[in-house]
Parts: sequence; structure tokens; C-alpha cells
Amino acid sequence: MSMGLKLKQIAAFTKRDFYSWSTYKTAMITQLINVFIGVFSWGVNATYVQRPVSEMYGSDYISFLVVGIAIGNLIMPLVQGVERQLNPWTLETILMTGLSTPVFVIGNVMWNYLFSVITFVPYILIGIFVFGAKLNMNVVATIIAFAISAAILMGLAMISTGMRIVTKSTDPVTWAINVLQNLFSGISFPVVFLDSIFFPGASAISWLLPQTWVYHLCRLSMLTNPSLLDPAIQIQFLKGVIFAVILFPIGLKIFNWGVTRSKREGTLGWY
Amino acid sequence: MVDYAIETIELVKRYPTSARREGGGVVFQGGGRVLISGRGGGVQSFGGILSAIRGTKGPFIEALHGVNLKVKKGETFGILGPNGAGKTTLIKILCTLVLHDEGEAYVNGFDIKKEPDKVLKNLQAVLPESRGFSWRLTGRQNLAFYALLYGLGDKEAEERINYLLEFTGLEDRADDMYQRYSTGMQRKLLLCRALLRDTPILLFDEPTVGLDASSAAEFRGLLHDKMAGEEGKTIFLSTHNLVEAQQICDRIAIIDRGKITACDTPDNIRYKMFDEMPLYITFYDVEFSEEHEKMVVMLQEMPGVYGVTPEIDHDKSFRGISIRVDKNMNLSSILEIILKNGLKIRKINTQEPTLEEAFIAITGQHPGEPSPRGGRRR
Repeated sequence: MSMGLKLKQIAAFTKRDFYSWSTYKTAMITQLINVFIGVFSWGVNATYVQRPVSEMYGSDYISFLVVGIAIGNLIMPLVQGVERQLNPWTLETILMTGLSTPVFVIGNVMWNYLFSVITFVPYILIGIFVFGAKLNMNVVATIIAFAISAAILMGLAMISTGMRIVTKSTDPVTWAINVLQNLFSGISFPVVFLDSIFFPGASAISWLLPQTWVYHLCRLSMLTNPSLLDPAIQIQFLKGVIFAVILFPIGLKIFNWGVTRSKREGTLGWY
Repeated sequence: MVDYAIETIELVKRYPTSARREGGGVVFQGGGRVLISGRGGGVQSFGGILSAIRGTKGPFIEALHGVNLKVKKGETFGILGPNGAGKTTLIKILCTLVLHDEGEAYVNGFDIKKEPDKVLKNLQAVLPESRGFSWRLTGRQNLAFYALLYGLGDKEAEERINYLLEFTGLEDRADDMYQRYSTGMQRKLLLCRALLRDTPILLFDEPTVGLDASSAAEFRGLLHDKMAGEEGKTIFLSTHNLVEAQQICDRIAIIDRGKITACDTPDNIRYKMFDEMPLYITFYDVEFSEEHEKMVVMLQEMPGVYGVTPEIDHDKSFRGISIRVDKNMNLSSILEIILKNGLKIRKINTQEPTLEEAFIAITGQHPGEPSPRGGRRR
């Protein structure tokens, strides 16, 4: 076989994969934009690394970051669990059992979540003993923060899944939420930094994002040993609850919309 | 008292399609007819945005075009048609996985749009592409998982699973991982899952596709002898295997480009499609003479005879005669004329039309071929 033919065959594979990728228009655009977002986020991290995070949690940066990463590991399965389990064969079969939507969603993420809870401990231990992270935790507050976070993220998961059932690829809503999360929800830097990065008051945008509350409540509970009797802390938790109460039914609605629309279009069994 | 297990009334299903108007004409795609919606040209108004969100923005391809069917309880009913004729769409509508646009459909009297939960308690489907089994769980574990989703209690589930594994002959391999199963065994496990809830109606989309001949025969036996025969279930299956349809179906419907074009017993469909049948008569060797020529003319002029072709060898030996006759004709009058001419009959054959011939006559295609583009043909 000639070298020319081999190169052509390699090109044929590349062409095939490019055509396939380019059919997922939304994914194509969002992937390209993600490149810029990624560069920006890491640039900010590099700028602020080792800077004390006294503005929000009275903590050092490494403690802030370790807790953030551990929380990220904990919550990721909740957001991704359903859509990762989602394939046309499973979905059609499950729908024919007449299972309710919440059971389907919670059932699909539960094992991954439990596994993440188990792996949360080593994250924290490594952070403490290897990187010298200092935790100042209120266990009850942390459990409540996790519960509120789970409800918020389950709502987001249902929104994301409902959209993906229709788009079969990256959906613009989930993508926008993720981009805003990376920029504004303070995964790897406190949101108050945004005021000095963008413009004064930019951090206000962060507080409109549900993910900010997930990270904030968990960090508050794990880094500041908050008193649940303190009205200021209660208000913080209440705000998180409001997000959960709003997002969960919206998630259910969007998931059911996605299924209904896909049934109408006859694409339930499609990728 | 509901008379029918399945009933559809003027059922219409349109799918959104990427086809666009080209030069003002209608673009045909796949097996159905493309309809151009008035709102198909993009999002131009609030209504347009709303229909884009709801997925009702055109243009559409019409997969089902006013389907009327009545399937009796306990019946084994087959739906036949070329690829893209609408068989799978019909089955998916009946098992609530696709929503129809117009018309009505009932399963044991329950409206499939308004009462999908009740429909699913009366009907389960075996769709070959819809596996949903975990590869690294055993067959029994997979069934136990679905038994829970169907709401069966622990003891009830265990008993039902044991019964079904025995029923399908899978009990010896029940504790093997699903990934170790052959295609035939996977299909049987699908059947077990569909039977977990013990619904009175079962739908099958191409039940034996992908199976080897012996597995297919075994699976057909399960459907016909055990499920329909012993358990009295209503079976609705789609297939383009005409032998299968003829073997196990009490009645069949032929669907072509989204429309039911024939619905009857397999035998009636075969006979009703053709007004004539061929008759072959073989003689003991005799030389072809003028009298024989006159006999051929006489036969041709008989009422009920559509054509006569004598079979004469190069050495003028009169071997036999083929006659196309009316399927209801009394053949003794033909034989009388032949015997009067001193011919000795060696063999008489008639050829009955096959279901495949009827299918081709109705659809203009061989089974398994894709539905052609363009309008309806008969």
C-alpha cells in the first residue's frame, strides 16, 4: 500500500470526524468559546495564587482552593450523572416502565454522588496533610450546605438533561451556566475579586448564579465554623434554599418538556 | 367491555425534517410525504418562536397518514411494510414513545395520549434496539432491577423472574453476565423484561431480525405457541419477514408510505390480490397436431380463461399446456376438452399466490426495500 494512500486514509478518518463534530453546531461553537474562558480562568488563578482570601472566609488561598476542588468533585456527578447515563436505549426502556421523573433523575445520580461523598474525605485529608490546608468546620452546617447544594444541582441536572434530550449534544443553557460558573461563581478565586478584575460591583452577578451558592455555603461551613443561630448565617442559608426551591421544579418542568418534545419529534431514540 | 386490544382511528404522525422547499416544489425524503408548514421558514414571530420551542415548526415528513387498525384481544397481528413505511413509528406511538399529531389510538380502551400510565400497564414492547441492560450484571440481576422499576414486590419479582427464565429457556444462563449472552439470548432477555409486568398486550418490532435461522424459529415458537397459545396474549408485531407473518399471524396489515393498504388474514390477502391463477397440465408425449391447435383456440375462448400457452418441443412433441384461469373457475370443463382430444394427462399443477407476490402487488416493492420517494402507488 502506497504512502499516499495511507495518508489519504488518515485524512478520510479526520474528515469523517470533522464532519461529525461540525454537525453538532452548538457543541462546536461552545467548545471554541471554552478555549478562551479556560485561558481567562487560569490567568486569574495565576494572578491571585498565594494571595490571602481574607475578604470572604478569613482563610489562606490553599485552604480555599482545596475545599473548592473537593466540593467540585462532590457536585460534579450531580450535574453530569443523568446526562452521562442518558442514552437512547436506556431512556426509551426506562420511560416504558412508567417511572416518575424525580425517581429517574435521583436514581441515576445516587451511586455517583455516594461515591463522591466517600472520595470527598481523601480530598480533604490530602489537602490538610500534604498541602497544609486549614479547615474550620461546622459539621451540621456542612451537612445542611450539602443538602441544599444537592437540591440546587439536581435542578440544574434536570435542566441540562432536558435540554440534552432535545439537542443530543451540548445545550446552550447548560453551557451558559457552566461558562458563567467558571467566570463568576468563585470556584478557584473568591467572587469579591471580580470587582477588581472587571469593574466595581461585578461580583453582584455571581450571587445570581446558583453554583455560587453551592460553593459559598460549603466554604462558609467548612472554613469559618459558622453558628447556625447567627441570623446573618441563617440568611445566607435561606438564600441557598430559595435557589433550590426555584430550580428543582423548573428542572422537572424542563426535563418533562425535553421528553415530550423528543417524543413529538420522534427523536427519543437518537443520539 | 372493550372489544379491541388496539384501535387506531385516522392516526397521523408528522416528523420535522431538514428538507426545504426547492424551487417552490415539495421535497420528498425517506418513505413519507413532506409537507411544508407555513411557519417553516424561520422564526419570524412569537408564534414561530413558540413552535420552535415546542418542536412543532415545520417542514414535516408524514410518516403515518390516517392509519385505521383494529386488533382483537388474543389475536396475533402482524404489520408488514417496506423499510420506512411507518411500522416502527406506529409501534412507538402505541408504546407512548412517540406522540401522534392527529387521530386517536387506544390500548385496551385507554387513550394513549391522555392515559399513558394505564396504557403501559396493559402493554409492553420488545424493541430490538432498545436494550437498556447493564453489560456487567447478570441476566437475573438485570431483570431484578427492572422488576423494581415496574413496581413488583421482592417475592413477586423473584417468582416472576424464575418463571420467565424457565419460560424462555434462559434459566441455565441466568447468572451469567449479560455481556456473555448471544444475540438470541439477549433477545430472550428482552422478552423476559417485557413480560415482567404480565401485560395482556405485547408489541414486537422486527422480533427476529439479527437472529440466525434456528434462533428465529425458536423465538417464533415462543411467540406463537407459548405467549399467544398458552398465555392468550395479544401480540402485535412488525416484520418484513413474510414467512414469519404467514406462520404466526392471525391477521396482517400491509402499510405502505404511512397508509394501511390491506388488512386481512394472510390467506385472504394472498387470494384477494389476484383474480387469476396459473394451471399447468403435463401430457404423456404426443405429437402436436392441427386438432391440438384447434383445442388451444377453444380453450382460449372459454369464459374464465385469460391465456393459454402450449409447450411444444423442437421435435413437435406436445409436452403440456399452461393456462391462466379465473381463481374461482371450475377446472373440470378444461379437463373435459383436453380428454376429448385424446390427450393423456401425466400431471396437473396449480400455483397459489404467495404472500410475497401479494406484498409486491400491493406495494410495488420487495419486502425490506425502502419505501420509494414520491406519491402513493398501487
